[in-house]
Amino acid sequence: MLIDKKYVPRHEKSFIICHWLNAGSFLMLFLTALPLYADTFRFLYDIFGAHTLQILHRVFAVVFIATPIIGLLIARKGFGTLAKEVLSFDKDDMVFMQKFPPELIGVHPSGMPKQTFYNGGEKMNISLQAIIWLLLVVSGLVIWFGNGIIGKEMLAWLIPLHSIAAGIGFAAAIGHIYLAASVNPDSMRGMQKGNIDARYANAHHGKWIDELIAKGELTREEVDKAIGIKQEKPNTKIG
Amino acid sequence: MAKEMAMLHDVSRCTGCRACMVACKQWKNLPAENTPFDGEYQSHKSLSSKTYNLVKMNERVEDGKFHWDMIKVQCMHCDNPACLKGCPEDAISKTDSGAVVIDRDKCVGCGYCAINCPFDVPKIDEKTHISTKCNLCVDRIENGMVPSCAQTCTASAINFGTKEEMTALAQERLTAVKASFPNAQLYGVDKNGVGGTHMTYILTDKPSVYGLPDDPKTSDAINLWKDIIRPIGKFAGVAAIVGCAGAYTLSKVISSKHKAHKENEKGGDKHVD
Repeated sequence: MLIDKKYVPRHEKSFIICHWLNAGSFLMLFLTALPLYADTFRFLYDIFGAHTLQILHRVFAVVFIATPIIGLLIARKGFGTLAKEVLSFDKDDMVFMQKFPPELIGVHPSGMPKQTFYNGGEKMNISLQAIIWLLLVVSGLVIWFGNGIIGKEMLAWLIPLHSIAAGIGFAAAIGHIYLAASVNPDSMRGMQKGNIDARYANAHHGKWIDELIAKGELTREEVDKAIGIKQEKPNTKIG
Repeated sequence: MAKEMAMLHDVSRCTGCRACMVACKQWKNLPAENTPFDGEYQSHKSLSSKTYNLVKMNERVEDGKFHWDMIKVQCMHCDNPACLKGCPEDAISKTDSGAVVIDRDKCVGCGYCAINCPFDVPKIDEKTHISTKCNLCVDRIENGMVPSCAQTCTASAINFGTKEEMTALAQERLTAVKASFPNAQLYGVDKNGVGGTHMTYILTDKPSVYGLPDDPKTSDAINLWKDIIRPIGKFAGVAAIVGCAGAYTLSKVISSKHKAHKENEKGGDKHVD
């Protein structure tokens, strides 16, 4: 059943909370550690005090670590879908990855295969973020608590590992934010209200809509109608 | 003073009087620490932000024979210091005399020096949140004096002089010590994984007996982090932002062109092929 005859329910509230907790804690972790990376950001230490930022880094680390663990308890459906989708990376996702790049500059490629709940790119991003989460958490915890327990040589390697993971995570986050906010602004609603425009859902996650129809959660008519309503309006925006 | 200096602790001569610990506290104006009595002579368990110099007095029984392993522990003043390499704030430097010195004003207490040091020397002070350790009494030695610990040593176990003098003395003493301790060896005098040290030892047994690493090393990971990952990380961060901004601008240009094109054609596919 569409919401307001127009929107497809997508994410549960608890899953949305987890997403923003993860995003917020990652951003704060990045900012509180930035002066150690680049002298340009030394002013952050001067303003807030190095020790304050170091303590905050640990506080946000706890949030960052706890989020997916709490998520498994309160947002099982969302995390279940996430895991299922990532593990079902198939040929269509490969085709998506090949055809996707022009989308970065707003050119919608033709012949794009229908995508499931998450498209090929999202699946890649989810896998990457999961690996990065694990690397950051393991290396971070050992740097935090491991001195005197773990060998010095091992410890010394964890600092570059932690930095690389943070750097890649940041670059991926920038890409993720750009794609969501600029290329596909319709997707933002999914992580705000928990539902997305049927027209956008059908165009970008066609296979998922087909699945929902097959499951009886939506009817083809209401989807067509929702899309039709949109199409009758003068088209002012591309894609 | 441009001359490379070194300290030599001859453990075979050390009587464990701890006068060096007191002299260090006095010169550095460091407070005493309350330490519990654990049934042995060693006072402090390890170095701390208030104890830069510690005489370890380890009791050991080997082959039914009692050994009392005494050693003066402090910053090793490595030639290739892992703490210096690992410091993100460039707060640690090495003087011409070989002393490795922390600049209190630059230190932010991140603890990377403590993590990287193969001898586990730097300690972050809980109150000031600044890294602390022995600086080889750099203020004294650069004015022609010897460090306070060496000055006070009653048994001539702590010697201080130029690197050449100390190396020669070490070789000379080693021959003598070997007569009583066949396992006797030098530590830090020659080049090693940390480039050699300016705190050197004549040990009566293998380094592990004294809690010293057999093969201390300044990890390649530190260079990798500082010389490669940090600059690449900065570049990648900026590149990601610039890349997205570029893509955004390009998408705006394309969409405005497409709009003009579509108006001419009146309609058409909403997707650009």
